[in-house]
Amino acid sequence: MSEHTDTDAAHDEAAMATARARLYGLLAATFDGEAETTAAALDRGAFAAVAEVFPIDIETADLRGDGYDADSLAIGYDNLFAVPGTHYVPPFASAHAVDPSEAFESDSRYHTAGEAGELLGDPAAEMAQLYAAAGFSPERGDEIPDHVAACFEFMRALCEREAALLDEGGSEANLDAVRDLQARTLSRLGWIDRFEAAVASSDTVEGVFAAIARLARTFTAWDAQEVVQTDLQPSETTSSELPDQ
Amino acid sequence: MSADDSGEDGAGVSRRDFVKAAGSIGVIAAASNAAVDVDIDDLWTDDEHHYVGDDYGEYGASDVIHTTCGQCNTFCPIKVRLADGSGTGEYSSLVRKLAGNPYSFLNTQPFSQVPYESDPDDVAMGDVEGSGDVETDRWSVSGGRICLKGQAGIQTAFDSYRVRQPMKRVGPRGSGEWKTVSWDQVIRDIVEGDDDLGHPGLKDIWGYAPQETVMSDWEAVQNGELSKSAFDEKYADDLIDTDHPDLGPKSNQIVDVGGFRRNFIRNRLWHQGLGSINSIHHAGTCGVSSVMGNVRSHAAQKKRQYPDIENCEYLIVWGTNPMVANKGPTWLAPKLTNAIEDGMRMDVVDPRLSKTAEKADTWVPVEPGADGALALGMARWIIENDRHDLTYLQNPSQSAASDDDEPTWSDASHLVLVDEQAGPKARASDLGLVPEDADTADDFVAVDAATGEPRPASEVDTAVLDVDVTIDGTAVRSVWSQYRERVFEHTIEEYAEMAGVPAKQISEIADEFTSHGKRAAIMAYRGPAKHTNGFYNTRAIATLQHLIGNYDWKGGQITPYAGYSTMSGRYELGSVPDGHSPWGIPLLRGGVNYEDTSLFDRDDGYPAKRPWFPVAPPQATQELYGSAADEYPYGVEALFIRPYSNNHVMAIAGGDEIPAVLKDTDAIPLIVASDTVIGETSQYADYILPEPTYLERWENFGTYPNKRLADEKISQPAVSVVPDARPFEDVLIELWSELDLPGVGEDAIPDADGDLWPLEQAEDFYLKLAANIAYGRNPVADASEDELRVFRESHENGLGEQFDLDRWKAAVTDEEWEKVVTVLNRGGRFEEPTEGYDEAFAEHGHGYDYAERADGSNAYDGEHMRYKLESRVDFYSEVVPKGKHSFTGERFDPLPRVDDVEHYDGTVQAAVSGDGDRERPLRLINWKPRTQGMHRTQNSPWLRETRPENPVWINPQDAEERGIENGDDIVLDAGRKTVDAVAMVTSGIRPGVVGAMWGWGRRGDGATTETIDGETRPAVEADGHSDYQFDEPMTEEAGYAKGRDAGFAINHVQPLDEELGDTGLSDLVGGSNAQYDAFVDVERR
Repeated sequence: MSEHTDTDAAHDEAAMATARARLYGLLAATFDGEAETTAAALDRGAFAAVAEVFPIDIETADLRGDGYDADSLAIGYDNLFAVPGTHYVPPFASAHAVDPSEAFESDSRYHTAGEAGELLGDPAAEMAQLYAAAGFSPERGDEIPDHVAACFEFMRALCEREAALLDEGGSEANLDAVRDLQARTLSRLGWIDRFEAAVASSDTVEGVFAAIARLARTFTAWDAQEVVQTDLQPSETTSSELPDQ
Repeated sequence: MSADDSGEDGAGVSRRDFVKAAGSIGVIAAASNAAVDVDIDDLWTDDEHHYVGDDYGEYGASDVIHTTCGQCNTFCPIKVRLADGSGTGEYSSLVRKLAGNPYSFLNTQPFSQVPYESDPDDVAMGDVEGSGDVETDRWSVSGGRICLKGQAGIQTAFDSYRVRQPMKRVGPRGSGEWKTVSWDQVIRDIVEGDDDLGHPGLKDIWGYAPQETVMSDWEAVQNGELSKSAFDEKYADDLIDTDHPDLGPKSNQIVDVGGFRRNFIRNRLWHQGLGSINSIHHAGTCGVSSVMGNVRSHAAQKKRQYPDIENCEYLIVWGTNPMVANKGPTWLAPKLTNAIEDGMRMDVVDPRLSKTAEKADTWVPVEPGADGALALGMARWIIENDRHDLTYLQNPSQSAASDDDEPTWSDASHLVLVDEQAGPKARASDLGLVPEDADTADDFVAVDAATGEPRPASEVDTAVLDVDVTIDGTAVRSVWSQYRERVFEHTIEEYAEMAGVPAKQISEIADEFTSHGKRAAIMAYRGPAKHTNGFYNTRAIATLQHLIGNYDWKGGQITPYAGYSTMSGRYELGSVPDGHSPWGIPLLRGGVNYEDTSLFDRDDGYPAKRPWFPVAPPQATQELYGSAADEYPYGVEALFIRPYSNNHVMAIAGGDEIPAVLKDTDAIPLIVASDTVIGETSQYADYILPEPTYLERWENFGTYPNKRLADEKISQPAVSVVPDARPFEDVLIELWSELDLPGVGEDAIPDADGDLWPLEQAEDFYLKLAANIAYGRNPVADASEDELRVFRESHENGLGEQFDLDRWKAAVTDEEWEKVVTVLNRGGRFEEPTEGYDEAFAEHGHGYDYAERADGSNAYDGEHMRYKLESRVDFYSEVVPKGKHSFTGERFDPLPRVDDVEHYDGTVQAAVSGDGDRERPLRLINWKPRTQGMHRTQNSPWLRETRPENPVWINPQDAEERGIENGDDIVLDAGRKTVDAVAMVTSGIRPGVVGAMWGWGRRGDGATTETIDGETRPAVEADGHSDYQFDEPMTEEAGYAKGRDAGFAINHVQPLDEELGDTGLSDLVGGSNAQYDAFVDVERR
């Protein structure tokens, strides 16, 4: 095991990891329905500030201002992500999977075998495996392993861990391991594209969740392509796990 | 997230800007506490390194034979993967691996089996459409599930201590010295007798005369129409004793002790070929009291209690350990854990925290042998709180039950003739309700709730439960009235005191049991049953389920004896042209009342010299050797034993007394053992004949009624390890041919057209059995050309020169052969869970519950099971009180009851009301080890490595009193015997109770030295490993096998019956040997 010697570089990397952890944490709280946190972030312009870093088309107007109180956000959240109905967008990966989870052992009444769209399908199993590998128990996401809030919470924890390892001068092996897990996790978030599209078409009245979903999609894509991959030391166990691009 | 959106723009994002922007989040986001724990050097994830291996070798169906495991009595369908390089060496083939058979639902849990018509090559490689991807779906290429014992079967077949040639003893019995002899000589010796050893031959011993002729002549003697001397002269060579013709023919003195292959050896050869009534299996050492307790509680066949696990909401597992035993590890364990995961509550009644109890919601550590009190306490709470299903209980007949959609009904409302001896239930004609020739004359009688009149049960819709009246001068009382009175003999508090379970807990369990409608059930087996009061304990438990009427309901008690016909159809395998009819008093005195025999007068009435079992089958194995020594009711002239599955010296409580009898050539002049090894019992034989192991021979093991679908397993030879081994069937065929007995040789087996077929070797029988299976219900498909080739190649690979395809084919017709191959290629027949299964499987895959969810389920019929008990269930048994205790002459009890544990003469071994100060206060129980199938599997170093001896479990409370700590060397004092052991201090056993696993303390099969042809083989020391460090049970860090003699034999510290002195205690009603009734003390060594 070798110690980091370039402390400045480590410091920058740690700051980057902390920043990512913060945004993942905020997105996790938002998609977990923690309306007060979302309202506070909107109030302080936190979403807008981050969105502006990404030179793409995000309606930042929807992401700032004090027009949102926690109660109305909670109602909006419930309508979109909690209560099945005309505006419902299931906030978990299995529902947005393209391939059915025929092989997944499930007697769930949500599981219509042979068709995509279910609860606790293969994507849930894959995420659960990743959590198990890291000794992680999601607190967000209603105990649905592939819930977007759980996935972001996991990324938040992984980024925090990365920052801590960098700050403490942890071993290369551990750093590799935690970055490897980030890559694996991000590689399983391709469904966010479809999720975002669904939210965009359902959240047509206020548009705040559509905008946040857009930010989430952009950020995770950037994180996967630019941060994790480029910063990751290629290794035989991880390079093949990165998403096809 | 595709990169397209951020693509080229993303590259322009400044990290510094991002970090800065994100800084504003810091004070907002209320992060959760969930954190990762990545401090490992080499990260792994499940799909890469755990559970699913993805490195496998290519092989096909020609490398596979499907057969049945014989390592324990679960008899799992298995897949034998033959090793490459077959046909080399002394054996025909090596076995690469044993696995579960993927065609069988028994071994594919929690998945669904592959469709029956799946191509064997696809199955071998996991290529069946729907069986998923080996690398991601936990669907192993090796097939279905198998347990650790099953995998170790390779070490049973290839044990270097196998008997390789017929052997004849040198010196006295048990001297440990043998010489090998030819098959010809051993057959000659057994038939003709041998002057060297001084034993008679079967020719000298055998004699037979039909019962009708003998008894008609005997009647003539009584009437003075025939002189006694003429009778004596006529039957001197045929009857055991012409003064007591009811003992039967001399053939009865030739006794078979086996266990399995009952249809062939017992039914055909022993009963009908030889005309001997004495073919004995393991029942007495096993759960026969439980079986009989269930049999007497149901009018149709129901020997065992099992729930429909998938739909059960509340399950009481009572004195059995289905995570480990009782058809458990491969079949019940995954079902139970899945059901628990799906919300089923399971409570476990057991003095010990078994593997099953570990998974339970509540562990109820009952006092051993007081299970009846616990059950009756529950019954009292249920009745007091009106929680019994009144509608169900008031149905007196099938028609009334059908109206309520109930497949079964009870005898609760039936009237009993209380003033008559043995208290039979009244029939309609008995009470003059209908003429004697009326259709309803034999109906039971119930009082119609609508009219208040007694009527034939089939005419009553709703019956009165509580009846105690006199009808035309005849006193009658309803079953319910008597059962209720019995239940109310004690208060719940009194029952609680007896059972050692808090009254509150009894109420709680009873409440829960009656809170799920029909979706509650009990699974009980040996725990309550292996005491002298085991029959009544089982009755008390079984009748609890009558109170809720859960039979045949989804989620309730199931009884599907569903299979395919084996003994008839294409061939009448049970039929022996010109066969003998066995008759006479069985050696083990089952099914006969002592006072109904001529011995009653001879011996001056009660008490009988040894116990009789008038309402149990003649299978009280524990009585065999003492009876032979006492020649009671008659002597044994020749004993044939197959100790692979009946190693009585180890398996019987008090089995350490057996060798003295076996050594005595006067007691039993000829003993022949057919065994795979020189075991504890076979070592006292005159001859040991090399027997193939289960991987090398035929068999047809049944499946317990704990399944939703029909199946029929068939074992077939997969390898030949010992070239000179012969299945005992073949040996007997030769012996019987020499003796010119029926049932073997030419013209032995009739087919459906009455044409006769020869029986010259085992396969002549079993291939016809396979044909019967193939044609049962809807015939199976013919094997394709490809499948026929696969069959030939796999058997050539496995059996080498031992495989004679033409000979096998000749055992059935050409037309049948192609269907027989279909069955053999799959190891039997296994019903599919739904119609159109192959298409459904291709669509939905193996992880789908077809029985539950698909249309056209073969398992369910609406809310009912498809395979049903569909009969009356009995609180009151008419049969039981017909039997009398042979010591006292008292009638047995028709109802469940609490009873003491007693010796034959009534001396109390353990009182239900509790015992005062005992010299040795600890009750000793025992259980099946998780890592051993039977004593016979102790030869496996793999298994002994997982658990190298049997420590004595002791509660910390009892340990502290004695200054014992975990891992201490202790002495266990059972009074008549003391043994050395190791203490395992654990709260997982009830205070006042100690216990250990059985299966240890062997003295045969490589545990001691053996001398063959002057060469001495030493005992197995430690299989080449370093010494095992077993200082602290459950804390060992490495596993090394100890010798085969490790640990102590639990059955050798059991108490002997005080009156008999040569065997353990017996349950005279159910027939079991008591095995949980020893009292011991322990102290530090």
